[in-house]
Amino acid sequence: MMTAWTEKYRPETLSDIIGNDKAVTELKKWAENWGIDKKAAILYGPPGIGKTSAAYALANDMAWETIELNASEQRTAAVIQKIAGSAAQTGTFFGGASGRRLIILDEADNIYGNVDQGGVKAITELIKKTNQPIVLIANGYYDMSKTLRWACKPIQFRDVQSRSIIPLLLRICHNEGIDCDDKAIELIGTRAGDVRSAINDLQAIAQGRKKIHIEDVVTGIRDTKESIFDVMKEIFKGSDPKRALYASYSLDENPEDFIHWIDENLPLEYKGDDLAKGFESLSRSDVFLGRVKRRQNYGLWKYAGEMMTCGVQAAKSKKHHGYVAYKPPTIWKKMGQAKSVRVVRDSIATKIGKHCHVSQRYARSELIPFLKSILKKKESAIGVSAMLDLNQNEIAFLLGTSVDSTIQSIHDAAQKRITQATEHSIETFGGGF
Amino acid sequence: MTKEEIWAERYRPKILDEVVGQDDIIERLKSYVESKNLPHMLFSGPAGVGKTTSAIALAKELFGEAWTNNFTELNASDERGINVVRSQIKNFSRTAPLGDASFKIIFLDEADALTTDAQNALRRTMERFSATCRFILSCNYSSKIIEPIQSRCAVYRFKPISDAAIEKRIRNIASIEKLNVTEDGLGAIEYVAMGDMRRAINILQSAAVLSDQIDAEAIYKIAAMARPIEINELVELAMKGDFMGARDKLDLLLIEQGLSGEDVITQIHRAIMDFGGISEKLRVQLLDKIGEIDFRLTEGAHERIQLEALIAHLVLAGAKE
Repeated sequence: MMTAWTEKYRPETLSDIIGNDKAVTELKKWAENWGIDKKAAILYGPPGIGKTSAAYALANDMAWETIELNASEQRTAAVIQKIAGSAAQTGTFFGGASGRRLIILDEADNIYGNVDQGGVKAITELIKKTNQPIVLIANGYYDMSKTLRWACKPIQFRDVQSRSIIPLLLRICHNEGIDCDDKAIELIGTRAGDVRSAINDLQAIAQGRKKIHIEDVVTGIRDTKESIFDVMKEIFKGSDPKRALYASYSLDENPEDFIHWIDENLPLEYKGDDLAKGFESLSRSDVFLGRVKRRQNYGLWKYAGEMMTCGVQAAKSKKHHGYVAYKPPTIWKKMGQAKSVRVVRDSIATKIGKHCHVSQRYARSELIPFLKSILKKKESAIGVSAMLDLNQNEIAFLLGTSVDSTIQSIHDAAQKRITQATEHSIETFGGGF
Repeated sequence: MTKEEIWAERYRPKILDEVVGQDDIIERLKSYVESKNLPHMLFSGPAGVGKTTSAIALAKELFGEAWTNNFTELNASDERGINVVRSQIKNFSRTAPLGDASFKIIFLDEADALTTDAQNALRRTMERFSATCRFILSCNYSSKIIEPIQSRCAVYRFKPISDAAIEKRIRNIASIEKLNVTEDGLGAIEYVAMGDMRRAINILQSAAVLSDQIDAEAIYKIAAMARPIEINELVELAMKGDFMGARDKLDLLLIEQGLSGEDVITQIHRAIMDFGGISEKLRVQLLDKIGEIDFRLTEGAHERIQLEALIAHLVLAGAKE
């Protein structure tokens, strides 16, 4: 399996970073003086121009170990403290107490919303308390909270000009033994817009070729922005694992999201044995995703990616012909639509849980099905509705229908019973005194 | 108060002497009532064997009329995080016990749902409030409770209720509710209840909806329906080769009904156990696959994908049969 060239040619030292000389010098100075001043650094600027590469190259130059916290994982306060906290306050295994670890927080302008609750605060805390250098990486400087910005030294990365990209592309061609027109290289370099896209485009065009002409670039460029549907076609219909894998690289989706696309469409293409084998690959892929999530080991993403592309592709016993209309994942939509149903269900589960001294989870999985069975008798339906003080939506949920006149009559009868029971208890109470 | 409609609640024992199948434990609990004192306790055992019932009955006998003021019940799997538990405990223990009691009781159900960190926090909470409160923790597996908590508690292991005890209780309820349960019907109830009294009574009540004559056939039919109906439909659709249909059922279970992947696979496991019309050899092979997917559920990232893999396997198995 070949690796992506963007990884293969990632600069190992700061002097290999193309363009952005000023930013690189600033970053180096920051690292050398780290300890006198313990501020974190924010590297910001547009995508694909070497911010992350610079951070890793820096660690390499300084002989620091690295720890990366990527945005793809939910960055709650707890996760940040767990991963970075231990690294931030202790020394390293090999370097002892003097050894440093560079903590790299990628996509730092993305730590918002519910999923990352407490994340910003935890990072700010971390920056204040740390004994280790921290680099935050972001696209937009002003997208980050003020407190975060104030705690950091900003270092701006700018667009890399195509005249700086072209020599790099030439070097890669040379190294890969590919003969490439000057005009073709120029076009790739100027069209891509940033370093990473340029390398990706070059790899996509060079796939299966030893020589690249200008014509290849003109037509080939289209392939670099392959749509997600083309990638799925490559997986489900194709038989070249590398092509399937590369196609997935050019997508703007990470494996965590892309798996849902394959999951949605796999049963439309494969049947029987192929389907079972295809899902076996997807299941393995998902296990790797789980490990990535739990251990924060993004290195495992590549296996997840390979299992969901090459693995699924290889699962078929024969070529599948015919047109299949692929669909976007329905899972998110279904979750959105089911929201109101879930609210009803959870309120019933709470009522049952209280009444029967069980957890809501037990109520959902064991007692709701039971209640559904006894509610078939109208008399029981009224009794249970009165006992749990169910509203019309809740009664309808248990009976598996929508609110209609039957539901209304059950509800009315139940409410009447509740009123009677209350009056009765007041009478007995009053009579007792 | 309106009438109690759920039989498992209507016939829940009110006093310790009514609790069946846990004689040794009940003797000990009665001695606590006599001495009017109590250690912290850990009740471990499967569902439906009398843990909650015993705790409530104990409180009633200790505190008499004032029991609702001196007893509170929390469910660790419902309350989000130890902080909620802690603040509720704090509020409850702040006021003095009512009547002649010298302490209050906090019953924390499903304590094994708490993480190790949360249990450590709970341990400190138990210590802080032990002057005014006694804790009764309940769990399915005592091994999931950290050692420091176990060592502070008297541990009582509740056993599954014997078939004889279940039979006696079911006969008793059947006669009050004017049902005719046949001998093989009783046997069937014992078989599907597996020592879980609540399950036994629920099945009896479900069967009574259909008819007041209850035999084994009715019970087995009901037992299959006691799980979400979508589970059976899912298995049947899959075995018939309809993957998409089965997947829709799966989505209903996971998304609308809110079952966890673990719940779903447990139910599918039971359904495969009961599924007619397949060879025993195939059944064993399917059980093996279910086990593997169950494991991957805990390792993987998306429950739905793992369960779909299982469905695809069922489709294949159904085609070969």
